[in-house]
Amino acid sequence: MRDAYVVGAGQTDFGSFPDESYRSLFATAVDRALSSADGLAREDVDEAVVGTLGVGGRQLGLSGPAVTEFAGLSVPTTRVENACAASGYAVRNAVQAVKSGMADVVLAGGYEVMTDASGDATKYWLGVSGETEWERLTGATFAGTYAQMARAYLDEHEDATVEDLSRVAVKNHANGSENPHAQLRFECSLADATDAATVADPLTLYHCCPTTDGAAAVLVVGEDVVADHSELDATRVAGVGAASDRVGLFERDTYTAIPASERAAESAYEMADRGPEDVDFAEVHDCFAIAELLAYEDLGFCERGEAPHLLREGVTDRDGRLPVNVSGGLKAKGHPIGATGAGQLVELWKQLTGHAGDRQLDSPEVGLAHNVGGSGGAAVVTILEAAGADTAEVQR
Amino acid sequence: MRVAGVGAYVPRFRLAAEAVEDALGQSHARGVEQVAVPDADEDALTMAAEAGERALDAAGLDAGAVDAVHLASTTLPYEEEGGAGRLRSLLGLDASTESAQFGGSTDAGGAALAAGLERDDPTLVVASDSPRGADDDPLGHAAGAGAAALVLDRDGPGRVAGRGSQTTTYPGTRFRERGSAETTGLGITSYDRQAYRETLAGAVDEIGTEGVDAAALQAPDGDLPYRTAGALGFDAETVAAGSVVKQVGDAGAASALLGLADALRDGAEDVLVATYGSGASSHAFRIVCESELPVAAALDGDRALSFAGARRRRGDFDSGAPEGGGAYVSVPSYRRTVAARHRLVAGRCRACGALRFPPEGACGDCGATAGYEDAPLRDRGTVETVTTISQGGAPPEFAPQQARSGEYSSAIVAFEGRAEDDGEVSVPVQVVLADEDAPVIGDDVVAVPRVLYDQEGVRRYGAKVLPAESRRRR
Repeated sequence: MRDAYVVGAGQTDFGSFPDESYRSLFATAVDRALSSADGLAREDVDEAVVGTLGVGGRQLGLSGPAVTEFAGLSVPTTRVENACAASGYAVRNAVQAVKSGMADVVLAGGYEVMTDASGDATKYWLGVSGETEWERLTGATFAGTYAQMARAYLDEHEDATVEDLSRVAVKNHANGSENPHAQLRFECSLADATDAATVADPLTLYHCCPTTDGAAAVLVVGEDVVADHSELDATRVAGVGAASDRVGLFERDTYTAIPASERAAESAYEMADRGPEDVDFAEVHDCFAIAELLAYEDLGFCERGEAPHLLREGVTDRDGRLPVNVSGGLKAKGHPIGATGAGQLVELWKQLTGHAGDRQLDSPEVGLAHNVGGSGGAAVVTILEAAGADTAEVQR
Repeated sequence: MRVAGVGAYVPRFRLAAEAVEDALGQSHARGVEQVAVPDADEDALTMAAEAGERALDAAGLDAGAVDAVHLASTTLPYEEEGGAGRLRSLLGLDASTESAQFGGSTDAGGAALAAGLERDDPTLVVASDSPRGADDDPLGHAAGAGAAALVLDRDGPGRVAGRGSQTTTYPGTRFRERGSAETTGLGITSYDRQAYRETLAGAVDEIGTEGVDAAALQAPDGDLPYRTAGALGFDAETVAAGSVVKQVGDAGAASALLGLADALRDGAEDVLVATYGSGASSHAFRIVCESELPVAAALDGDRALSFAGARRRRGDFDSGAPEGGGAYVSVPSYRRTVAARHRLVAGRCRACGALRFPPEGACGDCGATAGYEDAPLRDRGTVETVTTISQGGAPPEFAPQQARSGEYSSAIVAFEGRAEDDGEVSVPVQVVLADEDAPVIGDDVVAVPRVLYDQEGVRRYGAKVLPAESRRRR
C-alpha cells in the first residue's frame, strides 16, 4: 500500500465564540488547512471525513455534509462519531482511503460547539459518552468516571499523589499560555490546581478540561501527490492504530489503564516500525489530569505507576526529554470534542514542519497523537514523521 | 393463617418537634417528639420493599414461595397504576403471585391484613406510608413515615386469636382531595375523637382484651390512642408498648403494624393491633405468640435533620428536574432490565460460567454470545473504586436528588454470586448517604432499593448501596 502524508493543517482558535456557528468554525479550519498546503486547492479534495459528537444536537443527522457543503467542499463526506476520539478516527479513515488508493486528497477534520447551551443542557451533553443505561444511572458524570480511575490509581500506586495530578495542570497551562490558539492562556500553580474546588473527588476544577468551541482539519494525501508537489510540507503517516473497548468503566478488567489506548499504540508502533523510545514529542488525551498519567503508561513512555515520576522530573515539560502536550493539551488548549483529535494532528504537523513559531520544538522528527473516546471505549494513536526522518535507526 | 414473621422499616432521618417549632413558631403534633423523614430517593414503595424483604427474612420464607402480596398505602407514587407490580419485582416475587392493593384511608393496613388472613397460602402483607400535611396543620407537624410487613402462612408462631372490624360514617375527619399531596381535616376535635373512639371500639369489642401485653393502636398522633385507651379497656402502659408514634410520627397505613413490630421486638407475646382510617373504618386483630415470632425491624433513627434539611429532602426547595434532558432510557428498555436493576440479578455465561452484569451482550471473559442463566448476586459487596460527585455537578436527571439529599457517591462495587462457584462481577451503583459516610476502596456496602429518577412522569427504581456499617438490620 502506498504511503499517506499529512501536508496541511489548520484550526480555529479554541474557546467560546458566540458569534460563530459550527459551520463557520469548520469552514475556517478548512480554509486554514488548505492555505497551509502550498499547491493544493479546494477542488483537489476528493473526499472528506468529519468527526463530531454533535453536542447540543444541532445537526445530529447529516452532520458531515452540513459543514463540508458550507465550506465549499462538495465531495463525498462521512461523519465519524467516536465521542472525543471522533476526529482522531476521521484522520485514520482518511489515511485508509488514501492508502487504499480510493482517494488522493482527503480532508479530515472535526468540530464542536459546546459553550452556547444552557448549563443544564451542557450537563446532559457532557454525559452522553459515558455508558448510559448503567454507569450514568448511578449519577456518574464524565468527570466522575475519570475520578473513579484517579481514585483507583492513587489507591494502587501509593507513591502517587493528588499533586501529581496537579502537575499535569501546571505543565499544560504553562504550555497553553504560549499557544495563541489555546482557550485557557494563563498559568496555574501547583497550589492553584490542588486547592481548587472539587468537581468529583479527587479531581478539582484544574484537573478537568474546559468545554470548548472549535474546529480543526488536516489534509491527508497519497505519496504520489507529494511527489508531484515538492512545495508541500509533508509529514509521513508512519503509523496509525485504533482500538475499541467496553463503553462502561465497570465492564473493563482494569480501572488504572485504558486498554484501548495500549492496543491502539501497539498497532501504531508496529505499523511505524517504531517504539515509544523513538517518539520526540506527543499530544496525548488529557481530558482529565489522570488521563495524561494513564497515557504515559498506556503509550509505553514509562512503566506502570511511574507516570508521576515523569512529571516530577520534568521529562514531559516542553524543555524535557519527551515534551507532552506542548499545545496546552485538552486541559489548556481546550477540548472541542469532535475537533480534538484533528487538533492534535495540527500541532504535530506544525511542530514537524517548523510552523510552530515561538513554540517550535528543536527539530523533532517523530510526533505521536493519542486520542481517546469517552473513558476508553475508543482510542486512536497516530505517529507522524518529519520529512527526512531516519526510519532505520533509533532517533535518540 | 398464622403470622410467620414481621418486618419493619422506618427511614433513619428524624425531624424533632422542637426543630419544627423553631422553624414555624408552632408544633401541634401532640405526643410526638420526632417524625421520620424519608430520604429524597425513598418513597412508599421503597419502604415497602425494605419492610417486605425484612419480613421474608424474619420468616425464613423464600420470595418465590409467596403466593400473594397485599400492599396497603395512602401515598404510593401514583394515584392510578398499581404499586404491586413494582413491589413484586423489587422483592423478587413470582409473576404468578396474586396481588391486591389497599388504600383510601389509613385503615388500609388492617384491611390488607384481614384479607390476607382469608387466604390459604403464604401471603405477604405490606403497609407503607409517608403522609404529608400543611406546615400550619397539626397533621403536617405529625406526619412521619414507615413501613411494616407480615408474612402469613399456615404455620408460624403468631396465632390470630381474634379479629374484629367496624365501619361507621364520619366524613371530614381526615381527607385528601384528588390531586393534592397534603392530607387535611376540619379539625373538629370532639367529632374527630368520637369517630376514632367509636369506630375503633366497635372493632376491638369483638375481641377480648384481657391479658394483652401491648395495644398497637392507629396513632395519627401521640394523644388520641391514649385518650381512647380507657374506653377500650387498656392502660397507658399497654398502649405505649404498642406505639412508635412518639419517635416516628404518623405512619399512616403502617402505624399500627409498626407498633406491632416494636412490641414484638420488645418481647410482647400477646398484642392487640387496631387500625383505623377516616370515613371511617377499623380492623382489629389479636396476635398471640405461641413461640418467639421473628421480627426484623429497622425502626430507630440515627440522623437528626434540621427543619430545612427535612423539607429539602421532601423537595420543597428545588425546582425539580431541570430542562435540558436526562439520560434517556426508554421505559421498555428499563423494564427489560428490572431484575438486574431491582435485585442485582447478574448472568452466568452459558459458555464459560463467568458472571456478567448486566447479563446481556457478549461475555466479558470468553467473548461468547451463548447467553446467560440468571445469577442473583449477594447483597453485600466491596467497593472497587468510588468518587463523590460534588454539589451542582450531578447530571440533570440526578440534579433534584442532589439538591435534596446532598452530594452522593458513584461507585463500582464487586459483588459475588450467590451460587457456590460463582466468582465476582463489577456493578456500577450509587452510594446512599455519601456526604456523611463516603466509602473508600475496599469498604463493604449493602444493596438497598431506592428511587433512581423520574422521567416523563415515570419513576425508575433501582439498587443503590449503603455503607455496610450504616445498615440498620434490626
